[in-house]
Amino acid sequence: MRPFHPAFILEALVSIAPYIWVTLATMAGTVIFGGLIGALLAFAMIRQRKLGNAVANAYIYIVRCVPPIVMLFIVYYGLPELLMSVGININEIGKWFFVIVTFSILFSAPMAEVFRSAYLAVDPGQREAALSVGMTGAEAFFRIILPQAAVTALPNFANMLVNLMKEGSLSYTIGMIDVMGKGQLMIGLNHGSFSLETYIALAVIYWCLTIVLEKGFGKLEEILSRGKQRIRA
Amino acid sequence: MKLKIDFMAQTLVKALAGVPVTLEITILTMLLSAPLAFWMALRRITKGNEKAKLVRFYISFIRGTPIVLQILFFYSLLPTLLNYFFNVLLGWDLNIWDIDPILYAVAVFTLNTAAVLSEVFRSALMSVGAGQLEAALASGLTGAQAYRRIIIPQALVVALPNICSTVVNVLKSTSLAYLMTVQDIMAVAKKEAAFGYNYIEAYLVVLVIYIALCTIVQLIFRALEGSLSAYRRRLA
Repeated sequence: MRPFHPAFILEALVSIAPYIWVTLATMAGTVIFGGLIGALLAFAMIRQRKLGNAVANAYIYIVRCVPPIVMLFIVYYGLPELLMSVGININEIGKWFFVIVTFSILFSAPMAEVFRSAYLAVDPGQREAALSVGMTGAEAFFRIILPQAAVTALPNFANMLVNLMKEGSLSYTIGMIDVMGKGQLMIGLNHGSFSLETYIALAVIYWCLTIVLEKGFGKLEEILSRGKQRIRA
Repeated sequence: MKLKIDFMAQTLVKALAGVPVTLEITILTMLLSAPLAFWMALRRITKGNEKAKLVRFYISFIRGTPIVLQILFFYSLLPTLLNYFFNVLLGWDLNIWDIDPILYAVAVFTLNTAAVLSEVFRSALMSVGAGQLEAALASGLTGAQAYRRIIIPQALVVALPNICSTVVNVLKSTSLAYLMTVQDIMAVAKKEAAFGYNYIEAYLVVLVIYIALCTIVQLIFRALEGSLSAYRRRLA
């Protein structure tokens, strides 16, 4: 059995830690763009027009069936050629661009479902009451429905975020240097030795990030749902 | 951008040869992880169980780390461990390095899926009213009988949609088995793609195959749900 150096785990942790920001930054970009697409899809589904609904459902169905790695490769190899054919050259652009595009597509489908179910969970009477006191449709949405729907959506959103972070680790396969990429780079530089120690360090980082995200969102939910009245037994 | 249609047709035929491998890994993983997951779910439901802590720790680890990392980790750990255990400790002369990579893939995916599935089973078991078990025990069934005849048939109906999405997720995850040199759909397509730099075409073919496979899985589960929940309709 090859020698195992626990001390190297610490060393790996220290050199990988700065790249947590890269992972978090790509996640933030994905959440913004994926969230926007997801909101559009949810809107299309809630409005119940035939065409929009069908397109949104088909999009969600297809995206859900595609393994993340396949989507990543399709975007990475396909997008430059697709844009080149309309005269846009993105060959100079960084890897982060492809990562954010890929995971925005993947993230938008479950997000659409989260948005939709959260919106539907708000009692229609809330909207009617808001309109009856003279609010416009937009006011009613932003001031009455959204704050309530956000609380409902939060646990699912946290789940999606953790999933996104874990799936995002695949971006090392196209050469992105985030947490996972840095770990792979270190293994490469060490000619494959210390691989086990590096993987353990990576696991520790991802595990901690997951726990922090889950606990953080749990707290946030507690704070945001203060206004809610519980059913009294 | 022009897609090479005849290349795609050729790749489709070649990649279809990888479908049995993908299905084999998926089915074996589900069959192996189900009993493991059930055991873990029971440990967590029974109160005051010391093993529950260990199970929780394991589930938290599996759910907290990316599957690609688990694959790389176990794939670099398992052969060394097996070699040490069988050849150094027991002195057998096994050829560890010739083990079919599919077995490693099944092992890794089972370890992963058992954790996910145990959460599915746990919530399904908890959805069956406590009175059901008490009534079954009161009428003279043993614990095992009560579970097999009363609890599981009801819990299974509740769990079915989640089991379906777990199967779809396992199916999707098997696309990472190429990291363990398994010759599945993804690996075949990757090889074809690299040959003439036809990446987009090859991966589009993979995409179509996965959509087809996922659709089949979902149709099977919809049919299953109809037949398993038959008892509910009769009550209504």
